[in-house]
Amino acid sequence: MLKDITIGQYLPGHSFLHKLDPRTKILAVMIYMISLFIVNNFCGLGAMLVLSIAVVLVSKIPLKFFFRGIKAIVFIVLLTVALQMFMTPGEPLWQWGFLTITREGVRQAIFMGTRLVLLVSVTSILTLTTTPISLTDGIENLLKPFQRFGMPAHELAMMMTIALRFIPTLVEETEKIMKAQSARGADFESGNLIDRAKAMIPLLVPLFLNAFKRADELAIAMEARCYHGGENRTRLRALQYGSRDAITGVLCVCMVAGAVLTRFI
Amino acid sequence: MSLEVKHVFYTYQEGSPTESHALQDICLNVDEGEFLGIVGHTGSGKSTLIQHLNGLLKPTKGDVLVDGLNINRKEAKGKLKELRMKVGIVFQYPEYQLFEETVEQDISFGPRNLGLSDTEVKQRVKESMELLKLDYKTLRKQSPFDLSGGQKRKVAIAGVLAMKPKYLVLDEPTAGLDPRGREEFLEQIAMLHRQGMTIVMVSHSMDDIARYAQQMIVMDHSRIKLQGTPQEVFSQPDVLDAAGVGVPSLTRLLLRLKEQGLDVRTDLIRMDEIKDEILRALAARGGNPSC
Repeated sequence: MLKDITIGQYLPGHSFLHKLDPRTKILAVMIYMISLFIVNNFCGLGAMLVLSIAVVLVSKIPLKFFFRGIKAIVFIVLLTVALQMFMTPGEPLWQWGFLTITREGVRQAIFMGTRLVLLVSVTSILTLTTTPISLTDGIENLLKPFQRFGMPAHELAMMMTIALRFIPTLVEETEKIMKAQSARGADFESGNLIDRAKAMIPLLVPLFLNAFKRADELAIAMEARCYHGGENRTRLRALQYGSRDAITGVLCVCMVAGAVLTRFI
Repeated sequence: MSLEVKHVFYTYQEGSPTESHALQDICLNVDEGEFLGIVGHTGSGKSTLIQHLNGLLKPTKGDVLVDGLNINRKEAKGKLKELRMKVGIVFQYPEYQLFEETVEQDISFGPRNLGLSDTEVKQRVKESMELLKLDYKTLRKQSPFDLSGGQKRKVAIAGVLAMKPKYLVLDEPTAGLDPRGREEFLEQIAMLHRQGMTIVMVSHSMDDIARYAQQMIVMDHSRIKLQGTPQEVFSQPDVLDAAGVGVPSLTRLLLRLKEQGLDVRTDLIRMDEIKDEILRALAARGGNPSC
């Protein structure tokens, strides 16, 4: 169950995408998201689909990671599709009682469903090909210009680094406690919703206690090493744009331009 | 009736680039009433192995049988609870699994999951606390989080004992305890063993294993390197060194004496035997053993 969480997971590799500067990747994903919502007809959506598949192939990440990511959001996708299908007013195609499926509804449903799946797949490429450290470095760097408006860029990035750093630890610990409680006969898998919620107590209490304790210890350890925020901090690996980033930049501009153009087809 | 592990393989994250073989071709037999010690350096697969003993993990290949019941097969599916009742596992740092408001409630978590009556549960809580020399009257209403480290651990173990397991599996039960707590604790485990409980203990400490275990296995790189009685195993210091675990300090003493030219046997385990052997060897050499 816990192993299905693909967001935030990094998969080592040497593809073009792995070597890209994190800032380029973050910006590219944002531009991709915008493009995905600019396109408003099937021609454009098809083009985005092809593009996304190309990106997936370039990343050289086993396809099952994407399927796993999609499996995790299958409920949300189905709910969205159903809502769009039944709630959009328009020319009715099929009617049963108060349920009506309209032509516009089907269209919307296909659009939203595809968009969601693509969104999750492509954003998971970002985390799958970027180490959490360089990801937060990238974010910090991108947020720097906003610092003069009072945005605590370094602090935000540090918080993210720590949060990302502890996801695997917490998952591991959850599994450990789950096992320990299962060994005492706890049952996390059967029963109705209320039973299951109750079964979470023996899991959550120790988990939270340990998390608080760990946060305290981490704060002390950081202070002991004279951590005092972002001022005058230098980096071991300074970020630098290269030719790969230039190529990606050009491709991104083409993507947006293409997306806008498909609206006029 | 016994725990049987037959040619078990276990692979973490099978098929992904990060897959790792945690167990390879493990064969093991734990008879009823036995005290088995498992040693091995960090990451050698000890913890993975013990999780197979009550079905928390299922082998990728091979079979695990608990009193003849194969945990891999369909027929074991409905019997998981029975299985967990038979094989109690105490994980490393078990105090992290405490969650209830009072000691009594926490210990009764296991027995209550077994569906026992209130009076039976209460009885078992009392018994298991007494087994570990925890005072029932004063401690039962306290919050487990207010106790000292050693007592927290005892409460956690009492929680497993309250399920009355036939086989008790302990993963590094003395890690992080002070020397006195450690000693006391091992004595209590030895007592449980004398009362007829089958014990499987994972430990880093060769000295502890030498003192208490009847049978032992040494794990290295997800395989069993050595298997046998402590005497047999500790008489092969080279293999032990290669596996990164070393020999008990008393065995090391004997080996050093032999190296220095004293004619002693090196396959002894117990402190008194070793003392007699050294005195005998010194006498045979013609020195004066009394000084």
